[in-house]
Amino acid sequence: MSNAIKQSGAYLEIVSFHLGDQEFCIDIMAIREIRGWAPVTPMPHTPPYVLGLINLRGAVIPVIDMACRLGMKMTEPSERSAIIVTDINGKLVGLLVEKVSDMMTIRGEDLQPAPEIIPEAQRAFCRGIVALEKSMVCFLNLDTVIAEELAQAA
Amino acid sequence: MIELRFPASIATEDLPSAGSSHGLPYSMNTLPSAKSKLSVSQRLATLAGAAFLGFGSVLALGLYEQGSSGEALEKAIIAQRGAGTLEEMRLAQVELVLAAMDTIVDRAERRIHPDRALQIRASLAVIERNQADIQTLARLLGQSEVLAGFDADLAELRRTVEQELKALVEAGAPAAEFARIDDVIDGAGERLGASLARLADAAASLAEARIADVRASGKHALMFQAVACLLAMASLIGLIWFHGNALRRGILGLRDNMRRIQEGDLSADVAGLERGDEIGEMARSVELFRASAIEKRSLEERAKTSRNETEAERGRQEAERQQAAGLIKTAVETLGRALNQLADGNLAVAIREPFEGGLDALRRDFNDTVERLSHVLSSVRENTASIESNGRQMRSAADDLAWRTEKQAASLEQTSAALEEITVTVKTATERAEEASHIVDETRINAEESGRIVGEAIAAMARIEGASSEIGKIINVIDEIAFQTNLLALNAGVEAARAGEAGKGFAVVAQEVRELAQRAAGAAKDIKALVSRSGDEVKAGVRLVQETGHALGHIGTKVARINEHMSSIVLAAREQSTGLNEINTAVAQLDQMTQQNAAMVEQTNATSRTLAQDAEMLSELVGQFRHERARETATGMAAVQPSGRGGTTMASVQASATPGAGATTLTLRKSGTAAQSSTRSVPSPAKALMGKLAGAFGNSPGSLPSAKASGKNWEEF
Repeated sequence: MSNAIKQSGAYLEIVSFHLGDQEFCIDIMAIREIRGWAPVTPMPHTPPYVLGLINLRGAVIPVIDMACRLGMKMTEPSERSAIIVTDINGKLVGLLVEKVSDMMTIRGEDLQPAPEIIPEAQRAFCRGIVALEKSMVCFLNLDTVIAEELAQAA
Repeated sequence: MIELRFPASIATEDLPSAGSSHGLPYSMNTLPSAKSKLSVSQRLATLAGAAFLGFGSVLALGLYEQGSSGEALEKAIIAQRGAGTLEEMRLAQVELVLAAMDTIVDRAERRIHPDRALQIRASLAVIERNQADIQTLARLLGQSEVLAGFDADLAELRRTVEQELKALVEAGAPAAEFARIDDVIDGAGERLGASLARLADAAASLAEARIADVRASGKHALMFQAVACLLAMASLIGLIWFHGNALRRGILGLRDNMRRIQEGDLSADVAGLERGDEIGEMARSVELFRASAIEKRSLEERAKTSRNETEAERGRQEAERQQAAGLIKTAVETLGRALNQLADGNLAVAIREPFEGGLDALRRDFNDTVERLSHVLSSVRENTASIESNGRQMRSAADDLAWRTEKQAASLEQTSAALEEITVTVKTATERAEEASHIVDETRINAEESGRIVGEAIAAMARIEGASSEIGKIINVIDEIAFQTNLLALNAGVEAARAGEAGKGFAVVAQEVRELAQRAAGAAKDIKALVSRSGDEVKAGVRLVQETGHALGHIGTKVARINEHMSSIVLAAREQSTGLNEINTAVAQLDQMTQQNAAMVEQTNATSRTLAQDAEMLSELVGQFRHERARETATGMAAVQPSGRGGTTMASVQASATPGAGATTLTLRKSGTAAQSSTRSVPSPAKALMGKLAGAFGNSPGSLPSAKASGKNWEEF
């Protein structure tokens, strides 16, 4: 992965979104589609951040509340909430975010690694920090955020 | 009867004797005798009675004879009628027999011809019907025995004709039978005919006898009537001769007597005084005339002697009168001198030497009169002084009164002017109040209109609110579209990124679209905020407008109350105006009365002046009398009534009159103010009223001092 970043070299395309007051972003290449909020069908015996299932053109995909997953307060879904459908290792997963804020292109050197003072387990979620003029955006590592869960779920 | 009474009345008639009276007046009820009692009317009545009786008896005789001859004639008529009936019956009987004979002759027909049967029945009916009549006639004639066998004969005839004849004819009997029956019929018929003939003869003879009777009695009656008539005429002629003589003798005697009295011969007595009739009364009246003429003659003689005696008496009295006249003359001269002195005003005059006899009383009366006059004059003098002083007082009082009345009139004028001003003010106030009332009315209407407008504003606000919410919905839709567009742009961006280098341009477009969508979303958000703010503003506006409406409602209520107050103010002002008008009228009346008072005071003033002058003149007049005795009495009995009263009053009058004598009203006024200071009187009610008025209407500078002045003047009373 890091290689891939380096390979793409100078530029990295990301999509940023809000969870509460914080801003996060993910690699655009992991995104399959962005859609509005639709009611989910809850699943039994699932962790609290797994909201349920939705029907995406015939394919049933799980929806995860990212805020809850990242240890924050549960997101109150509204019409303006969005579900980002991602393709993580060939599996489609819907991520509920409060609001998709921006799509931008950053240079590779703008992505700075997370400070090492943070424990390793937590640091695995974050691939780096993008420091913008006004704010700091955490570049999430979807593989670790979702893969474990999927593995656990599996 | 009458023929018998006449000779008696003639025999008892007595002629009045001329020399039986005594010349004394007769009372009307003492009549001389019964012989000459008959009055003239009674005599005329006897004449009429005699005529009446004579003609009555003639009439009665005629009527009686008429009655008896009528009866006889009636009987003759009955007998005549009976003869007629008998004739009829005989005819019927003959017809019956003839019919029966004819039937027997025609017996060969063996039946009775109907005409003959009818004839037989009719004849029989005639005979039977008249049977009762002829029996009555027979009784009347007294020959009932003639009809003894009549009934039997009739019955036999009837039986033979009706039954046997019929039977024989119908049976066709032999001729012998018919001969027998023929005999029977003939016999019975003849018997009947004979009876009837006898009756007829008797009736005819009776009628003749009766007619002869009537003729004889008629002759008799005529003779009687002629005799009675002659007797009545004779007695009438006798009576007329007798009564006429008596009356003529009486009237002639009376005429002779009256002629003698007229010629002056009063000695002869009047004839016929004893008569009981009207002539006797006339004679007695004439006698009365004669007696009165004698009386008058004796009276005239007595008067002549008494006139001579009076003449002598008059000569004697003349001498006495001349002597008395001398005495009276001296007395009158003395009295005249004394009266002249009295006329000169000397009340001390008195006649000392006594007069002769009865005239001395005159002297004493004169002396008493002078003395009394002197007393009266002294009293008059004192009273005059008193009147004078009182007149002066009255004059000063009248002057005072005049001055005060003038002041009162002035005050009243000022009051009237002030009242007029007040009236004008009140009138203006009334008009203003009415105007204000109108304005308030308009204001109320405006307030109501404003309330309606506020309601409309509220409605408009609500509509704005609705429109805002509509806008909000539309904004929401726009927002949604912007969101969806943003999502689509994101997806496009994602697709472009995944397309790598080939999607670079597309990524830029997507980015543009995304920015547009975001701008649209931002604009929508702004508009939403604006709309929500405007909604809030509208809500606030609605609240404010509602409050305004409430406030306007309050204003309307208050305005209505103001209107009520204004109308009551208007009413009160009108009442005030009316009251002021009444006050004005009263003041005008007061003013008029004051004017009248002033006029009357002027009159009083003039009258009192005249009174004072008259009193002075009277006092001068009284002063002309010399009054020695009065002066003597005044000095003698000093404290007796005249001097006691007159002295003090005079003194006081002099004292009080000196300062005011001939003074003008100005000095009088001064004395009036001085009097005020000395007498503490009741506070003036008019002043109190003026004070109240002044307090009520603020200080009107014109009226207040005058009120004070009038109050001061009031206290003088």
